[in-house]
Amino acid sequence: MSREIQSPVTGTVWKIEVAVGGQADAGDDLIIVESMKMEIPVVTDSECVVKEIRCSEGDAVTEGQVLLVVDP
Amino acid sequence: MSRKKSTPAPDEGPRPDLTRVLEAKAKTLDENRPEALAKRAATGHQTIRQNITQLIDPDSFQEYGQLAEPAYQKLTGPADGLVMGTGMVSGARVGFMGYDYTVHAGTQSIINHAKADRFLHLVESLRLPLVLWADGGGWRPYENNINSRDYEETFAMMAQLSGLVPTVGVVSGRCFAGNANLAGLCDTLIATRKAALGMGGPPLVEAALGITLTPEELGPAEMHEACGAVDVLVDDEREAIDCVRRYLSFFLGPGRSSDEAPDTAALRRLVPENPRRAYDVRKVIEGIADLDSVLELRPRFARAAVTALAKVQGVPVGVLANQPMHQAGAIDSPTSDKLARFIQLCDAHDIPMLYLCDTPGLMVGPEVEATALVRHSSRILNAAVNATTPFMTVILRKAYGLGQYMMGALPLKPALLVGWPTAEFGAMGFEGAVKITHKAELEAIPDKKARLERERELADGLRAHNTALGLAGRYELDDVIDPADTREVVIRFLGSLPPVPPRTGRKRTIDNW
Repeated sequence: MSREIQSPVTGTVWKIEVAVGGQADAGDDLIIVESMKMEIPVVTDSECVVKEIRCSEGDAVTEGQVLLVVDP
Repeated sequence: MSRKKSTPAPDEGPRPDLTRVLEAKAKTLDENRPEALAKRAATGHQTIRQNITQLIDPDSFQEYGQLAEPAYQKLTGPADGLVMGTGMVSGARVGFMGYDYTVHAGTQSIINHAKADRFLHLVESLRLPLVLWADGGGWRPYENNINSRDYEETFAMMAQLSGLVPTVGVVSGRCFAGNANLAGLCDTLIATRKAALGMGGPPLVEAALGITLTPEELGPAEMHEACGAVDVLVDDEREAIDCVRRYLSFFLGPGRSSDEAPDTAALRRLVPENPRRAYDVRKVIEGIADLDSVLELRPRFARAAVTALAKVQGVPVGVLANQPMHQAGAIDSPTSDKLARFIQLCDAHDIPMLYLCDTPGLMVGPEVEATALVRHSSRILNAAVNATTPFMTVILRKAYGLGQYMMGALPLKPALLVGWPTAEFGAMGFEGAVKITHKAELEAIPDKKARLERERELADGLRAHNTALGLAGRYELDDVIDPADTREVVIRFLGSLPPVPPRTGRKRTIDNW
């Protein structure tokens, strides 16, 4: 089962910390979204592998927008 | 003189006079109303009497007006659609009043208004915390035909309870017009996901606007959670009842919770070293409060701040915290309203408060000014300065501008003001400040990236002068603490407070918004 990971806020994609196929542990930052001059980390709650990245650095994103898809 | 010797009558069961009473009472009970029960179950709801059985301690419910009937003689209706009485919840006394949706859709009538009026007066005079189950369709139109003086005090009495006794409302189904009005007058409102709530119901909307809507389209519970009308959204009636029980426990003073300590060591790593990195302040609250004791109010409304009731070693505390995950914790109009009402709720009921400050200040820009931020933000200071219940403040990180002033800084006279090592004070954000003080220097740097780097360098220099240690040196903080000790510090603060003086009257009213 893959999971879609959404942006918690409206802002700009500041940094993408992972690559497709990369592995992440619970609590790892996947993407940093910048909003109101703050860096909002988008984290994974559990160990996963990045399946798809649906944004690029500098993209304007809205709250709830899917940023990446991970497995499981 | 001969005296007749009284002999005990053999037990022949109740006499006819008593039998008539017992039968009349039995008719009001669920087990003798299978059709009503089935109808309610068909929509996935419990009956009001089932809710009472689950909420009120066994054998403690003294019902008032069980035998009341509708004034309009062509109608029948057990208890005239309002079940009310005194009882105990987890051993503490409450008043309970709930409309019965199986009786003419929980509508309000001549007789049940008379019942409600009587009961709300009783709640006032006995100072009973009130639980109001509000589902219902407002005024019962059939009773327009009755010649009687239209006089009810229900809404006025409900408003008069504000700040005098804790009031908590529940909506688990359709709740419109007069019923919604009562819900809106409660300090705190709990709704289930199935609830539909609104001041003007579908027939009125259709007549006035020509739009046909179901109650659920007009006033869905999730919308009310987002817009702040509902304080806690729960899955179903059972969860609502648990929530009522938990909520009431915050108004009964100390000693009514397990006081299992959370993992406090995690607090040391919660605020990132990078001052621009956000974190979830809920985790800070969880690292201070007793395990599973936190009840957040209005979680999806005005998310730049968190307001929560919690317990620390069993003692109720009201927590007000900025949320850096949303607009950096900047305070806008809805956030101001959320904080101001929560302060009033805690103060009215003598619940000490804990401010957790990490805010860049008030939100800026033409959009937020157009929301009357000038006025809304003032509500926080008005509520806080005129509160007499003690509070303490922890500066977690940013304490800038008017924002820090509103989040429990020195001028508000906190009983204790401490900072975490990451605390930083400023009249405004350091990045913004250096842009003004070093305007010419920064503008002379042509490369955008180099200019940004210099700006950050200058800001970091300013930040270094306004660290927690620097602040403590100028005695702007009572102490700088190890984040892992925060719970202990809160326990000492609570221990330093005098007992709450007995009150007979109202201290203050609580704004319904």
